[in-house]
Amino acid sequence: MTSFPHAPSSTSQVRVAVPAWAWALALLALFALYLIAQDNGAVLSQFGDTAHEFFHDARHSLGMPCH
Amino acid sequence: MAETLYRPAIAQPPRFGQLFGRLVLAGAVAGALAGVFSLLVTERAIAPALALEEARAAADGAGHEPAEELFSRGEQLLGGFVGTLLAGVVVAVVFAAVYALIRHRLPGRTDFPRVVLLAAVGFGIFALLPALKIPANPPAVGDPATVGTRTAIYGAVLLCGLISAMLVSALVSYLRSREVGQAASAIAAVAATAVLLVVVFVLIPDNPDTIGSDVPATLVWNFRLASLGQLVVLWAALGLVGGWLIDRLTGSSVAKR
Repeated sequence: MTSFPHAPSSTSQVRVAVPAWAWALALLALFALYLIAQDNGAVLSQFGDTAHEFFHDARHSLGMPCH
Repeated sequence: MAETLYRPAIAQPPRFGQLFGRLVLAGAVAGALAGVFSLLVTERAIAPALALEEARAAADGAGHEPAEELFSRGEQLLGGFVGTLLAGVVVAVVFAAVYALIRHRLPGRTDFPRVVLLAAVGFGIFALLPALKIPANPPAVGDPATVGTRTAIYGAVLLCGLISAMLVSALVSYLRSREVGQAASAIAAVAATAVLLVVVFVLIPDNPDTIGSDVPATLVWNFRLASLGQLVVLWAALGLVGGWLIDRLTGSSVAKR
């Protein structure tokens, strides 16, 4: 049953197929964000520390916990 | 009824790639705008906090050499901008997959109100809720010993917000399927949201840190307000620009009278 008795728009009720690569990319992007935001050398020791310092301001201002 | 004659016989929804490209572009724009906001506004609360950290270090070990900094302040400002830009793109990549998945269930006839609604929900879950439960702190406030606890609280708040939103949308779907009216459904949804949020606020522990007495309250307040403002810019720009770009794609296929 549609809630638009007056001409439903042509495509807005149709499901969009989400390919698997979209979810893989989303997970990868979240992991990358974790690396630049939270990884204080936990997963990538040297690079993590470097990223931690470089992105220090972004992490604080986006509201993520920091040392 | 006659309008149906003017619509194409086979209605094709937009392809995912089309949605994805437009939303990621919107995410980059949103991240850049939030980055500019960070340089112009949030930085003004970060600078005095860093000065405070340095004053503490100087008072602490007068004999010691100052700790070697990996990056200069200028490079960290660049990092602040780049990090915020990347955060906008990352949010948009995830947003695109979620939007495509639930687009047909979101209210509204066109894509613009749907994208804006999903961005508003995302702001509520990932910006407003943590800002209320575990507010952002400037440098010079966090206790290094509790960073694990604070990260766990932050993650738990985001997860609980996400689960709450899914429960409320499931409730709305159920009520609509039972032909419950719009007003009653809205009231039930708001009441359910309120109850779930109270449970989240009560059950999840608070930030264990105490703010040092040398940190001015106005500094913390200004920083938290700026941080929330930056997240408003990010999510609002993502919703408005993304909605506009997708509407330009799909708007032509909506019946125009």
